[in-house]
Amino acid sequence: MERAAPRKIALPGPARAIPTLLLLGLVLLPALAHSSGYVLQVFTHALLLATLALAWNILGTSGSISLGHAAFFGVGAYSSGLLSLKPGLSPWLTIPVGGLFAAGLAVIVGLLCRRLRGAYFALATLAFVEIPRVVTDNWEGLTRGSLGLVGLPGLPTLTLGGWRVEIGSSAGASYYLVLSYALVVLSLVALLWESNLGLALQAAREEETAAKAVGVHVDRYRFLSLLLSASLTGTSGAIYVHLTRYTVPGLVYSLHFSAVPMIFALCGGRFTILGPALAALVLYPVDQFLFHPLLPAGHEVLYGLFLILVVLFMPGGFWGALRRSR
Amino acid sequence: MTLLHLEGLGKQFGEVWALKDLHFAVEEGEIVGLVGPNGAGKTTLFNLISGRITPTTGRILFAGQDLTGQKPHEICHLGIGRTFQSSRPFPGLSAVKNVLVGRVFGKGFRLRPRPDDLETSRELLEVVGLLHKADTPAGSLTPSEQRRLDLARALATRPRLLLLDEVAAGFSPVAVKQAVGLVRRVQERGVTLFIIDHFLNLSLRVSDRLLALDQGEKVAEGPPPEVMRNREVIRAYLGLRHEDEDQ
Repeated sequence: MERAAPRKIALPGPARAIPTLLLLGLVLLPALAHSSGYVLQVFTHALLLATLALAWNILGTSGSISLGHAAFFGVGAYSSGLLSLKPGLSPWLTIPVGGLFAAGLAVIVGLLCRRLRGAYFALATLAFVEIPRVVTDNWEGLTRGSLGLVGLPGLPTLTLGGWRVEIGSSAGASYYLVLSYALVVLSLVALLWESNLGLALQAAREEETAAKAVGVHVDRYRFLSLLLSASLTGTSGAIYVHLTRYTVPGLVYSLHFSAVPMIFALCGGRFTILGPALAALVLYPVDQFLFHPLLPAGHEVLYGLFLILVVLFMPGGFWGALRRSR
Repeated sequence: MTLLHLEGLGKQFGEVWALKDLHFAVEEGEIVGLVGPNGAGKTTLFNLISGRITPTTGRILFAGQDLTGQKPHEICHLGIGRTFQSSRPFPGLSAVKNVLVGRVFGKGFRLRPRPDDLETSRELLEVVGLLHKADTPAGSLTPSEQRRLDLARALATRPRLLLLDEVAAGFSPVAVKQAVGLVRRVQERGVTLFIIDHFLNLSLRVSDRLLALDQGEKVAEGPPPEVMRNREVIRAYLGLRHEDEDQ
């Protein structure tokens, strides 16, 4: 008989230190990279992609694969951007509202696709990106169509007593804003995993019929996970649009924002909390610093390459594989 | 008191009646064995009671409440647990987490885990003799261990009625003996049992009554020795039906 493996597998020393070192490095990054705004920009975007990967994986935990999260990202970006631009509302207000709009779209997707599983659900989400994209592209009176949103207000300066943080104009401050948001998303995901809701999603993913038979209201929890995943993705889109202060439909409703979070989640480890975020923080900078100079036109081939390698040799993802090794 | 009441229950798949006009009652506290050859409609009956499929005719009353139209998770909340013919563990979750799912969701939803949930789940693993495998992923358990895990998970939902589908099929004589003890322990916890047992290796020893089905219809019910002497039951099991018609 094989011996039962202990449940809490002790991480090897170096692996256990990775998250701590990484966080320390991230917090100190602006000081380390003060000479180069480019490095900061890349890591700001990497952190934003990390939030997308984490949000994508909330739905992924329930077993559903979405190929269309750009729909939520784009709706969050556009609704928040338009509210900041036209009525001139404060971005601090419109950013969470962008998340709510994305959740609204998720309600429609969730109701229409509630019977779909596996590949059929994935294909439906792929199609769902087209609906908000076409609407945004053609409702020119509201969205200015393919001209896009230009001259969006940046994030306003925060004043705390005598201390002023110019988030809109300082690359360092933008970076810390996205870092804080990423930590909030990570904490939410960790809480979710440890809660009974996380248990329900895992049970639904592992064996849906059995989950129902032991009392799990599978449809409800899967719907909730879609709502949460979509609203976080929409919030990320809203933050993104206020950092770049410009967008066109093709930019936010793009394959990039649908596929890349999924690739990070799969490469990092779908069945882990940290994996998707780690993959974003490693792969995106590698892509930008190494592959982009080498292959300016086709640098994203890196993602495809990694995805193939992971799917073939590490079905649990990097972090999953690392945690298992001793 | 009658716990489960089947009134004219029928299920039609296409042209075929998998179950036809079944009237039957299960009393609280008893163990009823459900026997019959392949295709008799045994699993169809369990799928109807547990809400996986909806009846074509008739209705199911559980503790006086009509189950028609209730979803599987609602039926579980009302107090009916089940195991599956081929066990369906959550393969990636540890054995104890498998049971924990039943414990947490069996009667509805609690967002906050209670500290005793894990302890209770481990106790149930002990009841089925799997405590030493508590932290093993369910997917790496042997088929017979997975069946017992199925049972522990169903018990964790605190059912009043437990539907066991072929829980002892393929067991060695020693394992069957253990299963008999296990079923008795479950009954002592106040659970009413309805047991599908195609090969009769469990139900003849533990059942208070048997219900025999053949081709979707009831052929006999009563105390086990009486049912097993029944001509129709013997014919169904030994396949004498057609020769009989030729005479």
